[in-house]
Amino acid sequence: MHKKNLFTTIIMVLIVAVIMAGCGKSNDGASSGNDKAASKEEKNSGEVNLYTSRHYDVDDQIFADFTKETGIKVNVIKGKEDELIERLSREGKATKGDLFFTSDAGRLHWAKEKDLLQSVESETLNKNIPENLADKDKQWYGLTKRARVIVYSKDKVDPSELSTYEALTEDKWKGKVLIRSSENIYNQSLVSSFISLNGKEEAKNWAEGIVKNMARDPQGGDRDQAKGIVAGEGDVAIMNSYYFGQMLNSEDPEEVKVAKQLSVFFPNQETTGTHINISGIGVTKYAKNKENAIKLMEYLSSADVQKVFAEANYEYPVNKEVEPSELLKSWGEFKEQDLNLSELGENNADAVKILNEVSWK
Amino acid sequence: MLYLIRKMRSQFNSWALLSFIFSILIILPALLIMVQLFAESNENWEHIKEFMLKNYIINSVTLVIFTGLFTVIIGVCAAWLVTAYTFPLQRFFKWGMILPLAIPPYIGAYTYHGILNYTGVIQTNLRNHFDIKVDQKFFDIMNIPGAIFIFTLFLYPYVFIITRSFLENQSSSLIENARILGKSSFQTFIQVVLPISRTAIVGGVSLVILEVFNDYGVVKYFGIQTFSTAIFQAWFGMGDIQSAIKLAGTLMVIVVFILIAEKLIRGRKRYSYSTSKVRPLQPKELKGWKKYSVLSLFLTWFAFAFLIPSIQLLQWVYMTYDVILNEVFLDLIWNSVFVASIGSALIVITALIIANFSRLSKGWFSQFFSKITVLGYSLPGAVIAIGVLTLFLALDQKVIVLYEWIGLEPTLVLSLSISMLIFAYVVRFLAVGYNSIESGFEKVGTAFTDASRTLGMSVTKTFFKVDIKMIKGAVAGGFILVFVDILKELPLTLILQPFNFYTLATKTFQYASDERIHEASVSSIVIIFISALSIFFLHKVLEKEPK
Amino acid sequence: MFVQIKDLTFNYKNSRKPLFENLSLGFKQGEVTVILGQSGSGKSTLLRLIAGLEIPARGSISIDRAVMNDSLRFVQPEKRGVGLVFQDYALFPHMTVEKNIKFGLHKMSRKQKQNRMEELLTLVGMEEFASRYPYELSGGQQQRVALARALAPNPSLIMFDEPFSNLDSKLQEQIRDDLKDIIKLTGITSIFVTHDEEDARAIGDRIVLMHDGKIQEAGRPEAVFKKNREKLSLAYV
Ligand SMILES: Nc1ncnc2c1ncn2[C@@H]1O[C@H](COP(=O)(O)OP(=O)(O)OP(=O)(O)O)[C@@H](O)[C@H]1O
Ligand SMILES: [Fe+2]
Ligand SMILES: [Mg+2]
Repeated sequence: MHKKNLFTTIIMVLIVAVIMAGCGKSNDGASSGNDKAASKEEKNSGEVNLYTSRHYDVDDQIFADFTKETGIKVNVIKGKEDELIERLSREGKATKGDLFFTSDAGRLHWAKEKDLLQSVESETLNKNIPENLADKDKQWYGLTKRARVIVYSKDKVDPSELSTYEALTEDKWKGKVLIRSSENIYNQSLVSSFISLNGKEEAKNWAEGIVKNMARDPQGGDRDQAKGIVAGEGDVAIMNSYYFGQMLNSEDPEEVKVAKQLSVFFPNQETTGTHINISGIGVTKYAKNKENAIKLMEYLSSADVQKVFAEANYEYPVNKEVEPSELLKSWGEFKEQDLNLSELGENNADAVKILNEVSWK
Repeated sequence: MLYLIRKMRSQFNSWALLSFIFSILIILPALLIMVQLFAESNENWEHIKEFMLKNYIINSVTLVIFTGLFTVIIGVCAAWLVTAYTFPLQRFFKWGMILPLAIPPYIGAYTYHGILNYTGVIQTNLRNHFDIKVDQKFFDIMNIPGAIFIFTLFLYPYVFIITRSFLENQSSSLIENARILGKSSFQTFIQVVLPISRTAIVGGVSLVILEVFNDYGVVKYFGIQTFSTAIFQAWFGMGDIQSAIKLAGTLMVIVVFILIAEKLIRGRKRYSYSTSKVRPLQPKELKGWKKYSVLSLFLTWFAFAFLIPSIQLLQWVYMTYDVILNEVFLDLIWNSVFVASIGSALIVITALIIANFSRLSKGWFSQFFSKITVLGYSLPGAVIAIGVLTLFLALDQKVIVLYEWIGLEPTLVLSLSISMLIFAYVVRFLAVGYNSIESGFEKVGTAFTDASRTLGMSVTKTFFKVDIKMIKGAVAGGFILVFVDILKELPLTLILQPFNFYTLATKTFQYASDERIHEASVSSIVIIFISALSIFFLHKVLEKEPK
Repeated sequence: MFVQIKDLTFNYKNSRKPLFENLSLGFKQGEVTVILGQSGSGKSTLLRLIAGLEIPARGSISIDRAVMNDSLRFVQPEKRGVGLVFQDYALFPHMTVEKNIKFGLHKMSRKQKQNRMEELLTLVGMEEFASRYPYELSGGQQQRVALARALAPNPSLIMFDEPFSNLDSKLQEQIRDDLKDIIKLTGITSIFVTHDEEDARAIGDRIVLMHDGKIQEAGRPEAVFKKNREKLSLAYV
């Protein structure tokens, strides 16, 4: 008999725990009511909920500092950008996410297109963040900046041979260009920028030319492209600037050795400028803690924080008052693509199609 | 008609009811996604068809065929050698050969690439100590053959486990007969062992095939475009859910087809004896050069599939532990173990209920339930995650009315609770637990249940007093396989995780996705350690079990 | 009639032709009936149907005037109070002999269970084996335990599916005679399925000859044997 009780108990627990969590409405309702009451009591401090696709430890550190300073607790979900957008859009009105933080302007634009973000007016933000690094409608703001640069072998390549992204499609570089797969968002955004600047036709020609000149089938991440040069597989690689910074400062002495044999080149200085991208943040359309969310954004854009924030990951700060790290300064200043970054997102679908059409793996 | 009603009544009990409820719950998330399968195709679909589909299918099929082939060869040979012969360390290899299952293929892929690449330990040493610079071609693992290598290394245990336990328990009289009839060991293996263990082999390899089809981590890292990359690109890259669902649906059809084929091959054959007459096979001692060559084969394989990656990871742990290890790390372990335990327990309970019901009542109705369990395993984790999210949100919608009525703002109670994540695990991995439990039931047959019922015990009492005790091993096996699977799971966890909730797997992803493989090593090694520990524990449980 | 089978029709799910069609058969209270028949003729299946382990397509079965199944009802096997000794014993491998025998004893004090268990072990001559596991017993010993287990709950109807097939002839005679005594003493209605004519003669009050799912002959042993001498010797060479 008591076995039967046990059985019934297990079943009950099961039902209560997983399936019909909805059956326990009254319970859940009550507890969320309590939450409400609690958050009302500490209205001034409260919390802010963040969906982020950035994975750097420094972020956690800065959020902790923010909490210390303001009393506002930062709750975080870390995921992949596309899945987070999907989640936000499925959650709709019901979402708990107040902020969406990701490291690609294209993705931010896409979140905007899907009507997941809202405009934010803030003098602090306007002052701290240059206009071209934010959305036209102020739905998102860039916080850190990176450049997609050409990295070359000091031995084999004379920087005078290098000029533009386009030049890499010349026959001279046949079998010498290293770049990762087209599935990667950095490459998609790069092609998007070309669509904006030069038109679809030119962008496709470029992609075709790169595929023709590839040293090997695309594989691995950005760091692997750099290693490929030193390993003798190619002469130049296209990669994000901060990865090169990370390699120079790696715990693995071998990686440092590799990076020391390479150098950074900012392409298209005479023409359209080097492709840049940002990590950016926006307030979600149905944010429940909008004030706190804006406070966090302002905090992240402030000069003190920008310094730490950008340096820790070898990125460029967006705040003009802040100087980049010594390392980045040593690479010199450069001309950026003159482009509102929203366009990267607008052209993403076309970019993906072009990449597929030219069989960029 | 009356008889039909009576029949329903005689079979309709709490078991049927629970099986029904569970099956519906399992089916719902998939259905919510699949309704979109019939939506009209758009121009993206044309693009996908033209530029992606053919290549992607070829790549996926190549991976599946070769991985399947190699896992069968290695899994079956190893299973046969450890059951039919004794040689040094044979007792260890009986379970040691399962250990590679503890290493998620994506971690294996990172690790092997880390070992082999230009700054990896091999090339570095050749360069620095012998001044040898090698051609990268020979060290390139990021291609289709490399992926097959990785999958084979870390997935063959599925074939090994099932085949070994089959050979141990079922085959003694047949194999001994073959020996008496003057067949050599090799002939016995080809003529008797392979044919009779066909079901077991097919069972194991179909798990391997599903894993390969749904893998995203390895192929993405290696830059190989497969069916699952296509799903992700369409869905998340082009924002085109319809096309993604179409692809996922196609994948599901292929998978269901494979599974049905497996059942058809098996037919009603049950290569199992149900009474206590079964004796374990008496192993033969290997001597001389045979002994040493078998031993060295095993050692080599074990090194590649377990030791080398583990040692490499440990070296990276040594490089980075001071940055990574802190009190937060304990939370990670706790979170991982917590969701994995609850998830596995629920899966085992659900699987027991459905399996018991479907074996005792013989209609198509109950058979249908047993097929449903596999649904979740045939879909990529991300697709299930979105399905589950949609389901919970729909539930939430109903609740919102209530909130508004009470005067609260709409909140996302259901979606943020961890129960959503655990429920998704149940949907995803039910098949793994179910397979193990079903085969346990199949082995004992229904004779004991019948006997118990004529002695006055109801189905439920029989279940607790007889059935469950007789398949303890299978239950433990199912639990641990699922536990290890959940511990390793990534795409689903990433989408459904609640705020501030990190697991070992998501932590590994965080570093690895940023190409910080060394930092990812700490959480990787802990996943491997916990999984290996559970496998060892499983071995101890099974060893004690009277055969 | 203690057990009454009327117009019973049954087929296994995966065979096309029904095994039984409109089969009717009765068993009197206290009578010992022996069912003789070729292998595959449906003897075991008939016992399973009476025990409630299979669900018939049509027809009714009643035991002790209570309807076990008809078009409306189906009494679950555990509620039928029927004992069955299985052809392949089906002793629970995870329980000792003692536990196996006590398994079917409900609503008894521990003491009573112990006594009943010992009584039955003595009956089948297995006193020393109480703490053994089934796989530590020989085939014949297992069979005796199965016998004891089925008898233990004192069923009103007991059925044996070839209960003596694994015993040596001396033991077979001895157990058979003991069994006959118990059955006569308790007046328990019993059905034996066997291949062995000797068994049938020694124990049966009545013989039922079965062929291909049909009753060929039923009646007193002498009469049945005389009439079917030729057929029987053909059937069992
Ligand atoms: N589970 C089953 N599914 C399908 N057919 C079955 C099943 N069990 C038995 N049968 C078939 O039903 C018929 C009767 O079987 P049953 O076991 O009743 O024979 P039996 O008279 O007891 O034979 P034996 O003397 O060999 O024990 C046989 O033809 C057998 O093949
Ligand atoms: Fe990056
Ligand atoms: Mg029989």
